[in-house]
Amino acid sequence: MIEAFQNLFTPPRHMILLVLAAWLGLTLAERRSQRHGISSEDLNNITFYALLAFVIGGRFSYILQNIPAFSKSPLSIFSINPNLFDTFGAIAAAGIVTFAYGQRKQLNIWNILDALTPFFAIIAIGLGLSHLAAKTAFGTPTTLPWGIDMWNEIRHPVQIYEILASSLILVLVWRFKPGPRPGINFLIFAVLTAFSSLVMQSFRAEYEVVFNSIRQEQVITWLILFACFILIETRLRNPDIIKKENKTG
Amino acid sequence: MNRTQRIILYILLLIASASWIALSPVEGEPVAAGTAPQAGFAAPDFTLTTTTGESITLSDLQGQAVLVNIWATWCPPCKAEMPAMETVYNEYKDQGFMILAVNSTYQDTPADIVPFAEGYDLTFPILLDETGKVTIDYQVRSLPSSFFINRQGIITEVVIGGPMSEALLRTRIEEALK
Repeated sequence: MIEAFQNLFTPPRHMILLVLAAWLGLTLAERRSQRHGISSEDLNNITFYALLAFVIGGRFSYILQNIPAFSKSPLSIFSINPNLFDTFGAIAAAGIVTFAYGQRKQLNIWNILDALTPFFAIIAIGLGLSHLAAKTAFGTPTTLPWGIDMWNEIRHPVQIYEILASSLILVLVWRFKPGPRPGINFLIFAVLTAFSSLVMQSFRAEYEVVFNSIRQEQVITWLILFACFILIETRLRNPDIIKKENKTG
Repeated sequence: MNRTQRIILYILLLIASASWIALSPVEGEPVAAGTAPQAGFAAPDFTLTTTTGESITLSDLQGQAVLVNIWATWCPPCKAEMPAMETVYNEYKDQGFMILAVNSTYQDTPADIVPFAEGYDLTFPILLDETGKVTIDYQVRSLPSSFFINRQGIITEVVIGGPMSEALLRTRIEEALK
């Protein structure tokens, strides 16, 4: 079954899974956006501009990091090949555009993030499915009975762990009621995602090592977890933030 | 849940996470040593004959960065990326870069291969995968598929589909040449 799925969505067709996840995620997010004070029209606009910024920002950031390669063949800037892409630059661009749109429309960024939480949760499932289809983000060798044959070894099915964990998080997210403060729903989603990611990274075959014996990806995830707890507490405790939010709506 | 309970929960979760990180096994080489057509693994070795009758073995090229490009004459993106490959081959060959353009002959028309290479003035070797063994060993499911291999024989990047632009080729070749 896994092989049939991998044949159906063999790269570059695995990108279809991400597009489907984005579409489904947006559809679900729209249904609940009013609860967070964001109209479905605003949510659609935010997603449209953020996705546009994601694509353009990803390419632009890649170009900036590889100027000598592009200066010899400037037309490569318009190449349709998706490999000329920097994901961190893309995420930063999408974040900036979302923030700018929110400011312009006087929407609270935390409300926007809460409204987009189902979208992010479904994208996480889509990412796991695309990893499985492309046989990337694969696991370490194992003798466990549920291991899958990948790259000439029986390995931990990390991509399936990822899909299951993300699906469970989606179910929890879908059951969320609006939090006591804007942003809490999104931050809890971030905590759950960071925690599951931190656990699963132990089974990944690809990693960078820091301090001789620690996986760098886990350290980064731990710091994200820590930052989320600080932000949750700040959101719940700081009366100045709450007053300011009440003023800006 | 009051603030004190929340803070206790955060601390417990952070300690549990830190313990999990400390207990996570870390081996010397992140990706298991072995051969597979995937970034981080040693490239599967092969010996093929070129259109001029010369025999080329991939492992003999260790010490050079190699691009193994698997293609067919009927595939439009394969055609579209050939001029860019020829340009970068001429640009980097003196720095220890080689292109092995493996024609997936078992799913192509052999008579079309030489005229195709001549039509694009290709100077890098065109290898003939007549039995399909290399195409199968490299688990190729889309054409073109390109495997960038560093001087140690490890795959640094796999690009599935095309066409690859000159800029993409340059960035990946420079990575493989490091």
